[in-house]
Amino acid sequence: MAKILEGPAMKLFNKWGMPVPNYVVVMDPNRLEQLGEANKWLRESKLVVKAHEAIGGRFKLGLVKLGLNLEQAVEAANEMIGREIGTAVVRQVIIAEMLDHDEEYYLSIAGNRDGAELLLSNKGGVDIEDNWDTVKRLFIPLDETPSIERITEAALEAGFVGEIAERVAKITSRLILCFDNEDAQSIEINPLVIRKSDMRFAALDAVMNVDWDARFRHPDWDFKPVSEIGRPFTEAEQQIMEIDARIKGSVKLVEVPGGNIALLTAGGGASVFYSDAVVARGGSIANYAEYSGDPPDWAVEALTETICRLPDIKHIIVGGAIANFTDVKATFNGIINGFRESKSKGFLENVKIWVRRGGPNENQGLASMKKLQEEGFDIHVYDRSMPMTDIVDLAMNS
Amino acid sequence: MSILANRDTRAVIIGGVAGVNAARRMAQFDFLINRPLTVEAFVYPPEEGQQKEIYRGGELNNVTVYASLQKALDENPLINTALIYIGASRAYQSAKEALDSNGIKLVTMITEGVPEKDAKRLRKYALEKGKIFNGPSSIGIMSAGECRLGVIGGEYKNLKLCNLYRPGSFGVITKSGGLSNEAMWLCAQNGNGITSAVAIGGDSYPGTDFVTYLQMFENDPETKAVVIVGEVGGTLEEEAAEWLGAEKRRIKVIAAIGGTCQDVLPQGMKFGHAGAKEGKKGLGSARSKINALREAGAYVPDTFGGLSKAIKQVYQELQATGIISPEPEIDEKLLPELPPSVQEIMKQGEVIVEPLIRTTISDDRGEEPRYVGYAASELCEKGYGIEDVIALLWNKKLPSKEESEIIKRIIMISADHGPAVSGAFGAIIAACAGIDLPQAVSAGMTMIGPRFGGAVTNAGKYFKYGVKEYPNDIPGFLAWMKQNHGPVPGIGHRVKSLKNPDKRVKYLVEYVKNQTTLHTPCLDYALEVEKITTSKKDNLILNVDGTIGCILVDLDFPEFSLNGFFVLARTIGMIGHWIDQNNQNARLIRLYDYLINYAVKEEREVPEKK
Repeated sequence: MAKILEGPAMKLFNKWGMPVPNYVVVMDPNRLEQLGEANKWLRESKLVVKAHEAIGGRFKLGLVKLGLNLEQAVEAANEMIGREIGTAVVRQVIIAEMLDHDEEYYLSIAGNRDGAELLLSNKGGVDIEDNWDTVKRLFIPLDETPSIERITEAALEAGFVGEIAERVAKITSRLILCFDNEDAQSIEINPLVIRKSDMRFAALDAVMNVDWDARFRHPDWDFKPVSEIGRPFTEAEQQIMEIDARIKGSVKLVEVPGGNIALLTAGGGASVFYSDAVVARGGSIANYAEYSGDPPDWAVEALTETICRLPDIKHIIVGGAIANFTDVKATFNGIINGFRESKSKGFLENVKIWVRRGGPNENQGLASMKKLQEEGFDIHVYDRSMPMTDIVDLAMNS
Repeated sequence: MSILANRDTRAVIIGGVAGVNAARRMAQFDFLINRPLTVEAFVYPPEEGQQKEIYRGGELNNVTVYASLQKALDENPLINTALIYIGASRAYQSAKEALDSNGIKLVTMITEGVPEKDAKRLRKYALEKGKIFNGPSSIGIMSAGECRLGVIGGEYKNLKLCNLYRPGSFGVITKSGGLSNEAMWLCAQNGNGITSAVAIGGDSYPGTDFVTYLQMFENDPETKAVVIVGEVGGTLEEEAAEWLGAEKRRIKVIAAIGGTCQDVLPQGMKFGHAGAKEGKKGLGSARSKINALREAGAYVPDTFGGLSKAIKQVYQELQATGIISPEPEIDEKLLPELPPSVQEIMKQGEVIVEPLIRTTISDDRGEEPRYVGYAASELCEKGYGIEDVIALLWNKKLPSKEESEIIKRIIMISADHGPAVSGAFGAIIAACAGIDLPQAVSAGMTMIGPRFGGAVTNAGKYFKYGVKEYPNDIPGFLAWMKQNHGPVPGIGHRVKSLKNPDKRVKYLVEYVKNQTTLHTPCLDYALEVEKITTSKKDNLILNVDGTIGCILVDLDFPEFSLNGFFVLARTIGMIGHWIDQNNQNARLIRLYDYLINYAVKEEREVPEKK
């Protein structure tokens, strides 16, 4: 899953003939003034300014401003850029033309196991959640494109009338082309409108997810996916992502502010069960982390140091199943080095460490982990005979 | 009994190095249960025709790499299974080709990061063909006592610990690879082990699902219960619940579902597996899956840690009702041990290996090379020079300042002697023929021998002999030489004579004798010999080879090393000549006819062959 921002999504819409309003993305408000000199629409239309960042609830945060002229837009951009929202900073804004329209429609496509599902409603806009039962669904089998007639039929059932239904069908078929050819996982347009000035369709807002694993066949994807957790990535998360992109195997990190149990867990499956175990016992996790696929020791070391720096943690859970091919000795060496380094920098004061692991070279790995006790670490080491998530129980009862 | 893979399974691995590593792990299992090699062929065009070494225990097998799947199948008709390890961008095409092949019934994709659409298409294609497409991102399939596909099960020791050498009664189906191994361990620890374990992969749209394999396990009489490990995202677990609840099932189902923590975590938070993502309105959430499975009659503990107890409970119930009757355990001590590598046994001191070579001068096993124990960088730092390194590597001693100065001067004086001599001329002819540096220099080097530059060793050797055996009897020494060897090496020169002395010899002798404190018995002896030989013939002087040889003997260098000084010194010159010729872009040399005396027969007719 890779969520992309509005700007790149609109670019892909344009590519496949899906009309969008005029828009520009800027980092510097002065650039907007210059663009205004070059583009008539910026001078003559009502504008909307939005923070071009993966921040949820932008409207409530004042990061969406409507009905502005160019001067007001520059001012709004000035206000937004550099604003700090939690750990995030607004760096870009998107300025788009506001289109005068009456009706607001809803149009989306989401992939599923057998193909995709098209959702259509003539009651789009902010009220769509309330009108969810008016949404008409149409299944699109894998590698098939429904005929314009078939989509028109669906549009009629969704409440569109006459010629509009036919035109909605044509727009939809272009969106299906875009969905198929861009390896999209989901596209949601809300609202889709007909602009009064020329009675043409335009997608006013776009939420799009593409399959990042398919990027090898999309040389024109010049964007990066953005965070899907309702906030931009933190610096630590970005550092780990950069390491992840460079190595064999993987290291992953999501910070969860406020928690006091840190996870340094192995494997995509086991790591989830460790989070579950903490939550099930009434604890709160300080992060989600995972290393898998036999990553190099230095990458695990970097992940370890990052986790040791999390504020207010009381426990670190170094958990994992019995690995198939991840070398326990080598990855544990990375963790041990990370612990030592962190301790020398003053971290890990009053932090208890709980270890459970099996797999290739488990004996050596567990033995060297256990030796940390001699260096003054409060560390508790268990082998495969300890049920996997039971170290969480031990930690929380300690 | 088992599902998917058994003793008749023969596999082709499509992909490069990861596939070969997997084949080695699979062969360890083949050895443990004493079955023929599972992997019969590799397909990887860049390495077409290569043989990969695969050990089944101590038995070495060579498995061929083919450029195409068709060729691999033509030559290995028993293959019925394909494992895909090739990169994500080529995985779709490889898997499709495998599904198209007649003999192949099962395709398991280990490759990670495969586009969703590709996986969806492969799933559909396999369904149309009535074949199984397992994966992507699967760790593999294990049938205890029968067959291992992929690295599932981990290291050899773990195969034994999880009782994978003989079938048990539990089936295992997981999305996660790591947890398939954990689940097999739990089944061995709390029950009697597994029949088969399948990892379907954690992607959003795996090629198969829990239901496919639950049905297979239901049809496998040896499987009495199945452990499934699922997680948030998709609806495969709900479908499994539906299958379980639809009618009375013979097998019992135990399940663990990951992702309940999502209720309290930031919305949309991404987990390890691509497929672990909650759908709208709670569908696909861990909670919905757990509820559905419990309602359908599955055992679902609250945490993964509770799985041990659940398995134990089901096992005891199955024993109590007589569905599982205890079988005599195989004594694990009777199971074969993987033959260790020579390095491993040597570490334990249980084997003696006679070394192939011995060295007494240098060692680079540490952080940097050490010459006779001294670190090269430390020698540099403490002001030693190349002449000291020569002394260390050739004579294993650090020379005094005075001694190294003599060595340095010997090399400086011998570095070159113009282009006319055999060595330089040889190197130049080669350079002009366009030969590269190392070969051209070695062309010059081949000239070094008894008539050119190669007399240093023998000179040193025989003068030393003279000093020892005929200390005060030079005529005796000369007579002995004449009788046993011939001319005295190091004596005589083609052009130089008493009247026209060799400047180099004069310089070296004067330097060593007047400016150093070196004790020079051998050089002194040679000079005495020269007095006598020159009295017989003017040009029988002590030449440069002889001088160097004697000085080096006086410096205590071993006999074998002496020619080395000339070889080393002259290499500097020959490299110079090669560079010089190349800088000038010199042309190919051919001798002029007038430089050759054609002392040959007149032209004549070739007679008929008799």
